[in-house]
Amino acid sequence: MKLTPVIFSPIALLMAGISLRAQGLDPAQLLKPPTNTWPTYNGDYSGRRFSPLARMNSSNVTAMTLAWEYRLDPGNGTLTSAIKSTPLEVNGVLYFTLPDHAWAVDARTGRQLWHYQWESHGGIHIGNRGFGMYGSWLYFETPDNYLISLNAKDGTERWHVEIADVKQEYFSTPAPIVIRNHIIVGVGGDSLDVPGYLESRDPETGQLQWRWNTTPRKGEPGAETWPNPEAMEHGGGMTWVPGTYDPELNLYYLGTGNPNPVMAGQGRKGENLWTCSIVALNPDTGKLAWYFQASPHDTHDWDAAETPVLIDGEVEGRPRKLLAQSSRNGYFFVLDRTNGKSILSKPFIDINWSKGLDAKGQPIGNPDKEPKPDGTLVIPALGGAANWPSPSFDPDTGLFYVNASSSYSVFYLTDTADKPEGYGGRDSGVYSTLALKAIDYRTGQIRWTHEYNRGGPSMGILTTAGKLLFTGDPSGNFIVYDPINGKTLWHAHLVSNVSNGPITYELDGRQYVVVGAGDTLYGFTLL
Amino acid sequence: MKSLAALSLLTAALLVAQSPVSAPRPGGNMLISRAVPDAAAVERGQKIFIGNCAFCHGTTAQGGDSGPDLVRSALALDDERGDKIGPVIEQGRPGKGMPAFHLPADQIQDIAAFLRSRQQAAIDRTAYTILNVVTGDREKGREYFNGAGRCHTCHSPTSDLAGIAKKYDAVTLQSRFLYPRPRSSDATPIRPQVTVTPASGQSFSGTLDYLDDFNVAFRDASGEYHSFSRDAHVKVEVHDPLAAHAELLKKYTDADMHNVLAYLVTLK
Repeated sequence: MKLTPVIFSPIALLMAGISLRAQGLDPAQLLKPPTNTWPTYNGDYSGRRFSPLARMNSSNVTAMTLAWEYRLDPGNGTLTSAIKSTPLEVNGVLYFTLPDHAWAVDARTGRQLWHYQWESHGGIHIGNRGFGMYGSWLYFETPDNYLISLNAKDGTERWHVEIADVKQEYFSTPAPIVIRNHIIVGVGGDSLDVPGYLESRDPETGQLQWRWNTTPRKGEPGAETWPNPEAMEHGGGMTWVPGTYDPELNLYYLGTGNPNPVMAGQGRKGENLWTCSIVALNPDTGKLAWYFQASPHDTHDWDAAETPVLIDGEVEGRPRKLLAQSSRNGYFFVLDRTNGKSILSKPFIDINWSKGLDAKGQPIGNPDKEPKPDGTLVIPALGGAANWPSPSFDPDTGLFYVNASSSYSVFYLTDTADKPEGYGGRDSGVYSTLALKAIDYRTGQIRWTHEYNRGGPSMGILTTAGKLLFTGDPSGNFIVYDPINGKTLWHAHLVSNVSNGPITYELDGRQYVVVGAGDTLYGFTLL
Repeated sequence: MKSLAALSLLTAALLVAQSPVSAPRPGGNMLISRAVPDAAAVERGQKIFIGNCAFCHGTTAQGGDSGPDLVRSALALDDERGDKIGPVIEQGRPGKGMPAFHLPADQIQDIAAFLRSRQQAAIDRTAYTILNVVTGDREKGREYFNGAGRCHTCHSPTSDLAGIAKKYDAVTLQSRFLYPRPRSSDATPIRPQVTVTPASGQSFSGTLDYLDDFNVAFRDASGEYHSFSRDAHVKVEVHDPLAAHAELLKKYTDADMHNVLAYLVTLK
């Protein structure tokens, strides 16, 4: 076919642009570091939350200023949580969620385009981590465990399917992760000993493609780590933080939640696979490729659900495909993500519950620090040294950043029966302080620490090639640090503590940084 | 900031939590999202359950040798006012050895109320009862108080701690001595004191009201509010009377903790 000059005209190019927009999210964007889009929970599949954008950088960030703010308008509904979702940014529109609510706002102005509200049937309304996107379709989960698909254009509902039963005490918070034609969804809820699972759903219909159970069933591999079938079928292991993906290995990486009953381990003697584990699954089949258990036989509610961050790094001079996690139990783990073998396991706060490591690099819990009727003082507290808020890995500095909590709880065993139920215990939070820590992934050494000298909820982190690190402090400030040394470069006090993971994107040659704090979303840019 | 770290340890409770949104808590409890059954129905249901069902399902409905656990039963959790368990009671499970029970509808609803209450008791961990926490050796606790713990440098059993065991139950007392987090109900909450010295050289002191990396604020002895931006020329010194409690947390063994409690509960 002969090309005619007309297709090179500006109008033709504009038309091409319009038709591209109408196509929604180009799946190729998911395979690239985020620049003009932020198309998935972590910006890309790696979980690094590192942007190659450098228009905003350490030499000009002092001129960063407010471009817009959007205070959540829930229509006739109510807000039940702070903004915990990471917005997606696609074709100049931001998409984000709260429990039962979803919004689209203009990424340049914060102007609301649409609001969607789900009529709830119950469930714990603690938070929602956001959308997944496939073409023109958005997907999010609800506290009453529906997967809802919306049309990105106008927020109208395409369909909803139930992925778990709210009456069994499940509730759902994760952002779905889209891998090719798989919508990967997880579930939560550990009040009453229900079993965890991860599912893949069809993007067009919501129909089940596969389900992976986080605990084995009778006769399956892993069953030997439980005393009986009833224990493993009530063994918990929720899937409530989105995972990461290596397209070359075609493996989906996920951290699983704590076993049940949560604090009373006497009815589930054994390691309790695959709870509190980092697992690698084939996203086409849901088959387990390997696992590494962060907390064998956990009794402290220390989900290993924290983001498994994919690092293409070096170990002893050789390039390696690695995976790193700052785990709730206080350990920084680095694994070979091709096979799950341990590279290093090292605490990133002072902990008092571990007797060391086993041959696989997994921590060995001290039975004296399991919950006791008269209490045992444990570091970290129930909320852990880290939790769901996103860490970041900056390939330019080689440092892994996490807001780490040095915290103390007294753990009490309240149900001493042979077959306890529910939590079977409770904790009493004593004291905590938060610090931003920069960890060298090659050694586990803390390169620098910024102490906040007070406790508080942890916040998500973003790093960029502009040599900038964005996060919040526990006093309501949004802060830009130098990722090399932790020096403060910029700050602003927001309406509330930063409550989600910041994102960045560039539109029309202008770089934006967007962060959520309580009920308000802020857009910052350079003057 | 490093200089600050050396001076003090501040707590999460130092500042009022900032959150403009709140969660709906039916019945005041986020964990319980379904209707709480009527107490009288629960009581009636318990009697009927013990008379008819407990032989196989156990008096607490957690299962027995011949009947399954009904607290974590998917069917019992799906039930609303007997609509799922009613047919099972009525028809039995002949294949599994459960006979039919011919009970009137109101009694089945009462059994359903009892089962829901058992489920909610397991779900609501905030209502779990902590068992006996006073297991330590009070004499060793007294020695620790006056020795390794150095508690006596700030506290005395005959002055500030006199009658402390009458004021708090043992569980609360354990929590309070580990770290006495300021509470709104405290008559005289313990607050950090701060001295701020700007470049002018004149110092200002008061009760710390706010502190982050960028700003400091306090109230002076007359209650006036003062705030300063922090920069290299502004010296901020914080004296936190609770810093010793935070330091001790790194040192306690569980035996120390239990012994100190055993001693403190004698201070009546």
